[in-house]
Amino acid sequence: MRLAAIIKELRRIVGADSVLDQPEDLMLYEYDAGLSVGRPGAVVFPETTQQVSAIAKLANRENISLVPRGAGTGLSGGSISRDGGIVLVFTRMNKVLEIDLENQRAVVQPGVVNLELSNRLAGERLYFAPDPSSQRASTIGGNVSENSGGPHTLAYGVTVNHVTGLEMVLPDGRVVETGGKANDGCGYDITGLFVGTEGTVGIVTAITVKLTRTAEAVETLLAVYNTVDDGAKTVAALTAEGITPVALEMFDGWTLKCVEEATHAGYPLDAGAVLLIELEGLREGVTEQAEAVRQICMRQNARDVRRAATAEERALLWKGRKNAFAALGRLAPAYYTQDGVVPRTQIPSVLRFISGVSEKYGLRIGNIFHAGDGNLHPCILFDIRDPEQVHKTHEAGREILSHCIAVGGTITGEHGVGMEKNELMSLLFTENDLDVMKRVHDAFNGRSILNPQKLFPTPRSCRETNVLMRPEPAKVGAR
Amino acid sequence: MTVATTGAGALARDLEAIVGTAGILDSAVSLRQFTIDGVEPRAVVMPGNAEEVAAVLEYANFAKLSVVTAGGMTHQHTGATPEQIDILLRTTRLTGVEHYDAGDLTIGIGAGATLSHLNSLIAPHRQLFPAEVPDPDRATIGGLLATNAHGPLKHAFGGSRDWLIGVRFVTADGKLAKAGGRVVKNVAGYDLMKLLIGSYGTLAVIVGASFKLFPAPRRTRTYVSQFATLDEALAFRRHIMRSPLSPLALELVSPHAQVVMTGDPNALHQGWTVLLRATGSDAVLGRYRSEVGNAAEIEGEDEAKLWRGLAGFPDKVFESSQNTMLVRLDLPPTEIASALAAGEQAATDNNFVLATIGRVGIGSMLLAFCPIAVDPPGVVQFANTISYFRGALSRHASAVVLRCPLEAKRHFSVWGSSPTDVDAMKSIKAALDPNDIFNRGRFLF
Repeated sequence: MRLAAIIKELRRIVGADSVLDQPEDLMLYEYDAGLSVGRPGAVVFPETTQQVSAIAKLANRENISLVPRGAGTGLSGGSISRDGGIVLVFTRMNKVLEIDLENQRAVVQPGVVNLELSNRLAGERLYFAPDPSSQRASTIGGNVSENSGGPHTLAYGVTVNHVTGLEMVLPDGRVVETGGKANDGCGYDITGLFVGTEGTVGIVTAITVKLTRTAEAVETLLAVYNTVDDGAKTVAALTAEGITPVALEMFDGWTLKCVEEATHAGYPLDAGAVLLIELEGLREGVTEQAEAVRQICMRQNARDVRRAATAEERALLWKGRKNAFAALGRLAPAYYTQDGVVPRTQIPSVLRFISGVSEKYGLRIGNIFHAGDGNLHPCILFDIRDPEQVHKTHEAGREILSHCIAVGGTITGEHGVGMEKNELMSLLFTENDLDVMKRVHDAFNGRSILNPQKLFPTPRSCRETNVLMRPEPAKVGAR
Repeated sequence: MTVATTGAGALARDLEAIVGTAGILDSAVSLRQFTIDGVEPRAVVMPGNAEEVAAVLEYANFAKLSVVTAGGMTHQHTGATPEQIDILLRTTRLTGVEHYDAGDLTIGIGAGATLSHLNSLIAPHRQLFPAEVPDPDRATIGGLLATNAHGPLKHAFGGSRDWLIGVRFVTADGKLAKAGGRVVKNVAGYDLMKLLIGSYGTLAVIVGASFKLFPAPRRTRTYVSQFATLDEALAFRRHIMRSPLSPLALELVSPHAQVVMTGDPNALHQGWTVLLRATGSDAVLGRYRSEVGNAAEIEGEDEAKLWRGLAGFPDKVFESSQNTMLVRLDLPPTEIASALAAGEQAATDNNFVLATIGRVGIGSMLLAFCPIAVDPPGVVQFANTISYFRGALSRHASAVVLRCPLEAKRHFSVWGSSPTDVDAMKSIKAALDPNDIFNRGRFLF
């Protein structure tokens, strides 16, 4: 069937106003928030699970790919079509289906925006804990696909720790349920397996999430250091003292200056590094802990430890953190954020390595990251119009991530692999490791209808796998 | 590859060629100790490393032999009765520490290491591995994961699902593979850790695992509250869950469970107990005191003993009678009242008494149907009990019979229904173990 006929069929399934096929419309869906690009053949806005199932059956029959997409805030190209297939945008499936206060669960459609769920629950002192920086825009369906985290992952875990049930459409159109409201269930934890599969095994159409009780008291501290090393040592010292902050973020001095100039959050302009430390719990405990943390910071040569005295001051400190990349983005035409993770004890040496990479390639690299769990976000600034700089940027990124792997770490802590880092997967995983993952993939998506050419590395030869190359790649638009 | 097709002796010789004399048991006496539900394995191997595990499985898969993986043999009573066990593969020699740097709060260790061994490594660094199982000197890391076992600390720290960060395993066709890694935050690749947790050895042999650790609480105190009725105990649960308190554990103990654990029949009159365990400074514990109301306080060795006793509940109920039926119930907490009422009814109708403990805050319960001494239940009454009980549960709940008399097991499914699509599970099983060598006939499907 030609693309035009497929689009006609899509319009029959979802209605004429729910399909985009004009180049000027499709262009808007070429990107996410990272660097990858790919033009879809059509964009569809389903409103029901049944429509998604019908679309999957159509795609399967016509051998055209499907790529689920939420708000498009991903950083690894997970929601971009690489082969001109159909992008399924979930923004119209944005209903909160159920809130179960007593069991601390909500059942939501995938298009519900992360922060909106928490906002709806504010009066109940409950919230949805995963807090990616994109949480004002990103959807819970997208969070599930990418297994998103954020600053508070340190204490509360990534998305999978907050999902107990899924409704999914499999690539053949079958609708299945996994898990439910209980914490555990009899049989395989397919819910846990599917979270973070980046849309490569099923299309999520409903999600049962845990709701977390809002803490009674919060303390946010800003510890100011002359050197990055002292900040990094504080992270280790807090661990050794048995103190578990709910968030522990670090900025290097240069990044701090850029962020302060853009956001006026009140960060010091002349520091070598700062730690943003947050504690939560009972009033009695948090006050005591804040004092203990202050003393530990001072022992690690902190110049100053400031405490947010009001909710506004706290919000301001966080505003600087959450808008940090945008602030760096003001300094260069483009930036490329890495997402490597290293064992916490390796942070000081890896930061020194990154600074070496920066010098070697002559590229400015800012560091602002989740220090508590070793999740680094070196942000490489470059000029996207200069092919040599683009090349150097990719080389620098690869070198940093290879180093993360070499010290016992990984290539992504919360952004996903997608089409950005799929070639790096073979540095992290052996052929056997990937083969097991591929067998799981093929058990559901053997024809690679769903999100092809993602997550798995390009095979050395095409005979090995159909993960990347579907058996008969649809030449969309061609006869 | 050549494979012995006749006789246990030939099988043992082939296996010995892979694992050496130190890795094989084949005398009839030794094999008998590893009988599972009356089925004696034809051979028992104890590979000394992951490569040997791989070679054994490649051999078994080629010959389509059935393989049962075992650690400390503390949970082999769970599951349907195996038709035949060609090879019992014990992981007990896989105990090496793969990585441990206290500053990273992570540890990687062989699947055959016991919980006690792991705890002894991390205790000097004042760190905590929040799993509590009845028999930590025998129970292994691999078994903990395969059975998704947990204890009271699950209330605060979650289960294996929340702190298993990497896994090394061998597939049915003998390939050594891994998923995850050794860092606490990692979304690269499929999360096969989740798949292997609770898979009861049906998908792969776990050979090593990496975990997140936690700073050990410096000081804890337990508040013991007594209630005349279950409804009052559950009202207290709601009060705590709505409060800003974040206890380490919140455990419900039924009157009969109290009798089982203390051996004191008078405990029956104490009613329902809720144990709340908290950690913190004097000021924090003082706050708990004011929030929990009229509760007794226990600290120190008495407290440790209380929680050890609770972790040992499953063993305790079988000490009082081998014919007990132990059920693991996972459900949304609002359904606890009706589920326990149905359990009581089923027990009364079928000559049992019901003893219940569990993580009442999060809905993970253990129900022991203990036979009454006079006129004990017959085999069909076990089936009737579980069938009636399951009939009263919602689709969100699972009720797995962890252990019951062998004769009774033949009359019902120990697994019951799952909230998860069974065809999806079957697809994964077929993809990873196409010859069905792992735990043949014992799992849900």
